[in-house]
Amino acid sequence: MSDADLVLNRQQLIRYGAAGAVAIAAGTLPGRSLAARPRMLAAAPKPGGTLRFARSIAPTTLDPANTIIAGDIYTLDKIFEPLFITSPAGKLTPWLATGYTVSKDKKTYTFHLRPGVKWSNGQPLTSADVVFSLDRSRKNPKGPLSFLDSAITSISSAGNSKVVVRLSAPWAPFISDISAFSNAIIPANYGGASETAFFKNPIGTGPFTVSGFTPDAPSLTLKKNPNYWQSGKPYLDAVTFTFVDDDNQRLLQLRGGQVDVIDLVPPSQVGALRSASNIHTLLSPSWQVDLLVLNEKDPHFADRNVRRAVMQAIDTKALAHAATFGTAKPGGSFFPPSLQYYSKSTKVLPHSLAAAKADLAKSKYPKGFATELLIDGGVQKWRTFAQIIQSQLKPLGINVKLRPLDHAAFESAFQKFDYKMFIDYAINDISDPDEMASFELDYKEGGSSSYWSSFNNPSVTKLVRQAQREFNPAKRAKLYAQIQDAVAQNAPFVPLDYPPYINAYSTKVNGFAVNPGGAYRLETVWLA
Amino acid sequence: MLRYAGRRLLSAAVVVLAVTVATFLILHVEPGDPARAVLGEHATAREVQTLRHEWGLDASLGSQFTRYLDDIARGNLGRSFLEQTSTTSLIRSRISVTAALVGMATLFSIVITVPLAALAAARKERLADHLVRGLSVTGLGLPAFWFGIVLIELFALHVRLFPVGGWGTSFWSHLEGLILPGLTASFAIAPILVRSLRVGMIEVLDADFVATLRAKGLGELRVLAHVARNAVLPALNLLGINIAFLIGSTVVIERVFALPGLGSLLLSSISERDFPVVQALTLVMAVAVVLINLLTDLLAARLDPRIRLG
Repeated sequence: MSDADLVLNRQQLIRYGAAGAVAIAAGTLPGRSLAARPRMLAAAPKPGGTLRFARSIAPTTLDPANTIIAGDIYTLDKIFEPLFITSPAGKLTPWLATGYTVSKDKKTYTFHLRPGVKWSNGQPLTSADVVFSLDRSRKNPKGPLSFLDSAITSISSAGNSKVVVRLSAPWAPFISDISAFSNAIIPANYGGASETAFFKNPIGTGPFTVSGFTPDAPSLTLKKNPNYWQSGKPYLDAVTFTFVDDDNQRLLQLRGGQVDVIDLVPPSQVGALRSASNIHTLLSPSWQVDLLVLNEKDPHFADRNVRRAVMQAIDTKALAHAATFGTAKPGGSFFPPSLQYYSKSTKVLPHSLAAAKADLAKSKYPKGFATELLIDGGVQKWRTFAQIIQSQLKPLGINVKLRPLDHAAFESAFQKFDYKMFIDYAINDISDPDEMASFELDYKEGGSSSYWSSFNNPSVTKLVRQAQREFNPAKRAKLYAQIQDAVAQNAPFVPLDYPPYINAYSTKVNGFAVNPGGAYRLETVWLA
Repeated sequence: MLRYAGRRLLSAAVVVLAVTVATFLILHVEPGDPARAVLGEHATAREVQTLRHEWGLDASLGSQFTRYLDDIARGNLGRSFLEQTSTTSLIRSRISVTAALVGMATLFSIVITVPLAALAAARKERLADHLVRGLSVTGLGLPAFWFGIVLIELFALHVRLFPVGGWGTSFWSHLEGLILPGLTASFAIAPILVRSLRVGMIEVLDADFVATLRAKGLGELRVLAHVARNAVLPALNLLGINIAFLIGSTVVIERVFALPGLGSLLLSSISERDFPVVQALTLVMAVAVVLINLLTDLLAARLDPRIRLG
């Protein structure tokens, strides 16, 4: 990624805006594009009011560097902001930084901080804050996402408004890594407070503030940050999150007018909600793909022909239709379509029972075998998936016994390789696809033995590592296309579907948009 | 009386201890690692090991258990793995919700039970009696969560009398938010109470001593006082058992109505394997159930000398 790319992205975003797409309507773009906004919208945003938002998970901490839990992330990202963010259209967007320059050897990045950004207490943002935050995040041994910063060797200030980051080697996903919520900027030395005291009464650059944070409280109110750097925003005076873990209860509260927005709408309810005139249902593409993972430590699935047979026997179209009520797109490539460098022309093996039988006939188990499918039994969608897969593998003579466990037991089973097949979702946390590619394919370095499949293909691993150091977008796209083809042909796992994030809200809510990471920026939201 | 109370107290302590041991064993034998849940999928085995060590999860089961008992004995219920706070403060912030729910449900149960049972007993084998008995059988067959959803549809969506769910922020919103869940919970136990109280009243009304009292020329009010004292015993025992049952059913009802009580905390802590919170909650719930049973027994003994002397 270079400066030229950023300009291109900005132009792309403006073009999307002219076409009336969410990116501009949601107003995620600071700077120049703001001037163009009022003309795009049907009605001018109305300031004031409190947004009532029922969410599934309560936050337990506001510390960006110490969490990976959705309830925490989608709360703290309203308070703290990174140098770059990902827009609802999935594009990297300059945020607390206006841009960067990169040295010829691609190992030194100089970020230019946005002028005029203030903390919620009125103090100016300085390079010392950025250095402190990024160092804290990358050196945190307990940070679930500190691996994203592993390319960094040093961070230093160059004057008040510039930050220099040095890398151990050229690293193409770097700006995307910097955009992760875990790399959000907090005041240097917690603004003089202790760490614990700071995260109880945090000071951020974000559109909203929190005072007296208590973990796991039934509700949390965020107040407008009067010093927010985007003038005029946020439109809302406050946001009240209530935490309701029951899907049905959240829906009923929205229908009863008790709340304005809800998250995690069950796919089965989308049809019914669409017929309600005062409720809008929003399906936003995600960086998520649901996978059927095949364990190559099991002799059956060590055989490539068996894996290909399984892949071809599963009708992902029928699966997505039946289990997600048509809300998810059927699986093909192991990259979700919303992810950068997704290749539409991936050589996916099409669903065909005849082809599946032919491949199985070539394997060591031509007549089939008995096996087991491990799932998180608490999730209805997985249970439906498992039953369909069970019946679709039967004609091959592959008899599948289902093994449902509760969530924690399920996770610990597959992470110990105690499984034959399992279903899980894989998520890319940032806009760059390297996270998913290396986590799922780099057997040695990726950290999960290829998503616990033990798939170990040296030529694929080589491509993954090459893509990490390739800065030319066209060449990088080609590498990822090759990788996606190789996965489709070798079938270490079967991509089942690409589920969207499903939110529903009252029609009086405007400017609500969700990025492919599941994050929603509320400074653009206003109430009619 | 004192000897009786002492005997009951001792057996109560044994029950609490047994629950504590069972919870500890079930939690630690079940697979599922809280350290992994906190650190995420990208964490290395070493990082997970470090956190497990910090939490004392790498020690032997025996030494973890003795440490746990030692902590309880010193009144320390431990710290939550996930919330970075003591379990005592987590429980303190939620116990009032569950207590209010149980209280509301008990109140509703009594308000529903007493008039219905009296009506059925007075009109024995007539239409009103048959109606009450039929209703209570139907009520028994309905699952609580389903009944809760029907109540929400009717009184929160169709007619917007009460909130759909949630706890609110003011005293009145708490009270408003407790009506539908309280009703739901009471409907789970009221049918049994109605039937038991009805039978009790009929038996007592037919008893020889009532005829004797009347024959002796006692006023009807004084007769009723005698009848009530005798009829209420079986119902009181049942109410005690059912309040204990209510504490268990708050897990479902709190979820359906989005009430931030102990039950919903228990559910989320189990799925996250937050051991200290689950252990502390089961301990608190066990103590509550045992205490209520103890109180019921003592009250019954106070009312009926045969119990404390027998």
